[in-house]
Amino acid sequence: MKEKIKEVMLRVFQLDEIPDNISQSNCTKWDSMNHLNLIVELEEEFDVSFEPEDIAEMKSLDLVENKLKSIH
Amino acid sequence: MKYFIFRNYTIEPFFKDFEAEFSGYEDISVVPDADRYVWWYFAPYKINNQTAAGEIENYGNLLEFTFCKIDANKLVFVFTMQPIFCLNYQTKENTVNGAIINYNQKIRKLSEKYKNLKIVDFAEFVKMQGTVSLPLIDWKFYFFSQMPLNPKLANDFSHWFARQIETIELKRKKCIVLDLDNTLWGGILGEDGAEGIKIDETYPGNCFLFFQEYLLELVKNGIILTVCSKNNEQDVIDLWNDHPNLKIRKEQLAAWRINWNNKVENIREIAAELNIGLDSLVFVDDNPTERELVRQLLPQVETPDFPEKPYLFPEFVKMLTDRYFSIYEITKEDREKTQQYKENTERKQFESKFTNFDDYLRSLEIELTIENLSEMNIARFAQMTQKTNQFNLATKRYTESDLRDLDDNGAQIFGLRVKDRFGDNGLTGLLIITNYETAIDTFLLSCRILGKGIENVFLQYVLMRLKEQGMKTISAKYIKTLKNCQVENFYEQNGFILNNYTEEIKNYLLSLRDINYTISDIYKITEI
Repeated sequence: MKEKIKEVMLRVFQLDEIPDNISQSNCTKWDSMNHLNLIVELEEEFDVSFEPEDIAEMKSLDLVENKLKSIH
Repeated sequence: MKYFIFRNYTIEPFFKDFEAEFSGYEDISVVPDADRYVWWYFAPYKINNQTAAGEIENYGNLLEFTFCKIDANKLVFVFTMQPIFCLNYQTKENTVNGAIINYNQKIRKLSEKYKNLKIVDFAEFVKMQGTVSLPLIDWKFYFFSQMPLNPKLANDFSHWFARQIETIELKRKKCIVLDLDNTLWGGILGEDGAEGIKIDETYPGNCFLFFQEYLLELVKNGIILTVCSKNNEQDVIDLWNDHPNLKIRKEQLAAWRINWNNKVENIREIAAELNIGLDSLVFVDDNPTERELVRQLLPQVETPDFPEKPYLFPEFVKMLTDRYFSIYEITKEDREKTQQYKENTERKQFESKFTNFDDYLRSLEIELTIENLSEMNIARFAQMTQKTNQFNLATKRYTESDLRDLDDNGAQIFGLRVKDRFGDNGLTGLLIITNYETAIDTFLLSCRILGKGIENVFLQYVLMRLKEQGMKTISAKYIKTLKNCQVENFYEQNGFILNNYTEEIKNYLLSLRDINYTISDIYKITEI
């Protein structure tokens, strides 16, 4: 699942690679607009729907993965 | 192409495919430099209708205020406002809808007054969403990031908006190639006979009648109709002559190929006869095998799927219109196009009666009118730069505002109107001379007037005029494209000296002192 999330992030952030520790605080491309784009893409990729509370929390790769695992 | 977008909600994801910058929400304090502007305000999703209506009225005022500050030579795409979410506490109440109607009327009035303000009718996109399962608004994203539209519609929107820009730039398909059996009527003429085919007021004949009426409307909108069918030609001609219910007969067609040959070859021949590119064609055939063949061998031709059932024609014609044939506005030349293509065919038949080519030209009584840029012809001038591919030396594409810029910078812009005893071809040639460096910037002619020496006379006449004005030398360029190789040596043929060249570009010079063209009296030339 981690790899699939990374693929989505590559596409949304237009980066060449996604480090495992990527988070909103250490990635300049991960601004609020791209956060929104990421959520939209993740919802489509994994066929899920996040709650606003989830969206606000999903600020790193680990947190995104945990959230996806918890609703899958 | 850099876009600057004025907005009142979060809409960034909808412009992913565009180079775009955004204003703040309801922020009109600055008008930064951009190539084009977009004004897209949504009716606010408010609980109190008076508040919402007041804001909508204010948006109209903001637009007027901001529009004045934008360079008049730049296009401004203004979205119509749609009632996407309204709470009607009383059925008879019309507060918000009324305000939206007023707002839309206001922008339509502005668009009539200012040529650079172009309407983008967002209602069309909203209607389209009826056919997909996604809701227009995802309220989660509205409350989380002020998004007035479901962000998952971004890709659909992007395609739709790109098409809207094309229609504003007057780009569309020129010609439709139609099959006959089970396409223009139900049944097979060769098997069911003239009495057996279905084209009348009862189902399914009424569906085909519906489709034929649509095609007739396309003709009125300047689309060229042609037929490519496997049938006996005489059977079809008899049907065209005798069947009372047909809307589309040979009078509506600019060309046809009714035979048992390969359709790919027939389509190629139709394009060649009409002098238009294969990428200007849309092929409509109920037979999936024929469609597949054309898709494989002529990928430039658009080949949409055909409706499975006759009663699905309405959706089909809506798709054809939106995707291929709609245009922002139609010029007079467009409307008369089928007529002109037919006249050209008559001219070709006439030609064989003469042995001497000059005699033939003389008999045509060709009248050329050269006219300068004006508000009356600017739309057509811009359209010619957008649509002319074959006889086009530099293939520069201009909008109306580009032409105004050139004019302001001292360019001389000459349009050519061509008429002969068979009919009026309208504005069909354009020649632009820039003056900061005396050069031919654009020289193009519509293909339907070629083959009569008009291209040479037009150029030579204008060059002699420049010589009289005292100009000494003039430069010119041939820029190669996929379609303009027929004019590769045009400047040489008119005495220009090839200065230097690469694979793509040939640069020429001509000393105007050395030229002394005699303009043939075959052509009657007037200037207005």
